[in-house]
Amino acid sequence: MEGKEENASAEAAPLKLLGSWASSYTHRVQLALRLKGLEFEYAEEDLANKSDELLRLNPVYKKVPVLVHGGRALPESVIILQYLDDAWPERRPLLPADAFDRALARFWCHFADDKLGPAVGAVFTSTGEEQEAAVRQVHENLALVEAELREGAFKGRRFFGGDEVGLLDVVLGCGSYWLAVFEEVTGVRLVDADAFPLFHAWLRDFEALDEVRETIPAVDRLLEYARGVRHMLLGLAGAGGAGGAGADAPSSTAADAPTASPPPAAATATAADIAVDI
Amino acid sequence: MAAEKKGLQLLDFWVSPFGQRCRIAMAEKGLAYEYLEQDLGNKSELLLRSNPVHKKIPVLLHDGRPVCESLIILQYLDEAFPSTPALLPAGDPYARAQARFWADYVDKKVYDCGSRLWKLKGEPQAEARKEMVEILKTLEGALGEKPYFGGDTFGFVDVAFVPFTAWFLSYERYGEFSVAEVAPKLAAWAKRCGERESVAKNLHPPEKVYEFIGVLKKKYGVE
Repeated sequence: MEGKEENASAEAAPLKLLGSWASSYTHRVQLALRLKGLEFEYAEEDLANKSDELLRLNPVYKKVPVLVHGGRALPESVIILQYLDDAWPERRPLLPADAFDRALARFWCHFADDKLGPAVGAVFTSTGEEQEAAVRQVHENLALVEAELREGAFKGRRFFGGDEVGLLDVVLGCGSYWLAVFEEVTGVRLVDADAFPLFHAWLRDFEALDEVRETIPAVDRLLEYARGVRHMLLGLAGAGGAGGAGADAPSSTAADAPTASPPPAAATATAADIAVDI
Repeated sequence: MAAEKKGLQLLDFWVSPFGQRCRIAMAEKGLAYEYLEQDLGNKSELLLRSNPVHKKIPVLLHDGRPVCESLIILQYLDEAFPSTPALLPAGDPYARAQARFWADYVDKKVYDCGSRLWKLKGEPQAEARKEMVEILKTLEGALGEKPYFGGDTFGFVDVAFVPFTAWFLSYERYGEFSVAEVAPKLAAWAKRCGERESVAKNLHPPEKVYEFIGVLKKKYGVE
């Protein structure tokens, strides 16, 4: 059948991922590809100096990650993940089968990117009272997720996807490692094991998976990077400099983050790139 | 505990373009539902219980179970009622991804920029106007020569964006530009969509939307 042949050859087409090593959005796609057992070529982007290829493939947002499949470009991590399910439905589906469960997974993915991610980013980029307010916001958001694990939609599950990780695990998980990093770098308490026992347990199980360990950068690299950015942000703030530079943080909202110890010029260049990815 | 209400209910607010997406989708799919207008100044128990996280409309209730967020509701309608005309193109993963991308673009850009147009003055308003023109041109680029964003069929992106066509008049007045001038193909698309029964029956006249914005401005003390 023509359709089937087209599909088969389309599936066989090579995969290439443009990403950034410190971008949790990039990690989502890398993890999903590994979970599905799909081979791909990886190209690291210098976000302070974006390649022509990236600008051509994602002219609307000019961001990573972009997945290229058979010459066609797919931007936006959650859209890429759903594309992987659509294109390879027989390989370890990320979304559940039931329509209502799918709606729930999508809802909480949107929550992660619209609410939780920016709140965590705000903790990293602020100090004093502003930071205290951001921390409260993070706790409120985590409490909502914890409640779903305790008595709501995800009650009794090891992962949000059930016995196996799914879309929401990938989305929440790739980004949650910043919580521990930010705690270390800013000295605030974000995800207390006592206050959020189920979230804590889930994160521990998630980070123990082979595919996750293959994907998430070593914590000392993340720490070094985060310290560098935080130092620069506070330095700029201290000099009465760009409040807007606060946007340029390696948080779960930072799709675009420069490589370790970036010069201030890079910060302002990429400050405009900050946004949530859904 | 009373048995959950069977069938489809929509918690909505008359002028909400996000709610209208759901109304139009269900009309296109021939799905009957109960429309429940919400008082957003005095939110009902049902709304607060159905969307405790955001407390926003629209919320679709299916046999009492809530689905929140308009684009998620649209996908749910496709998946829960597979025998109805599909909004997302079936069997074409790349086309589906493109549809999700552009619907998401509408979500990220249109409403916020539009709000800045009528809320702000001076330089910030001029910025918003510039941005709105860019957004409309970008969407026109995505439409290309096709009759609909979905190609020959009225689809996901069309449903996602068409409610905002009732806001074009307001954007034009506040931004002092003409959609027909800056994005003529988009203006033609809006007219084409307006001829569909599902759209004609579920959008409010642009003058009514303009009037509503006037009321909002007074309420927020913007003048």
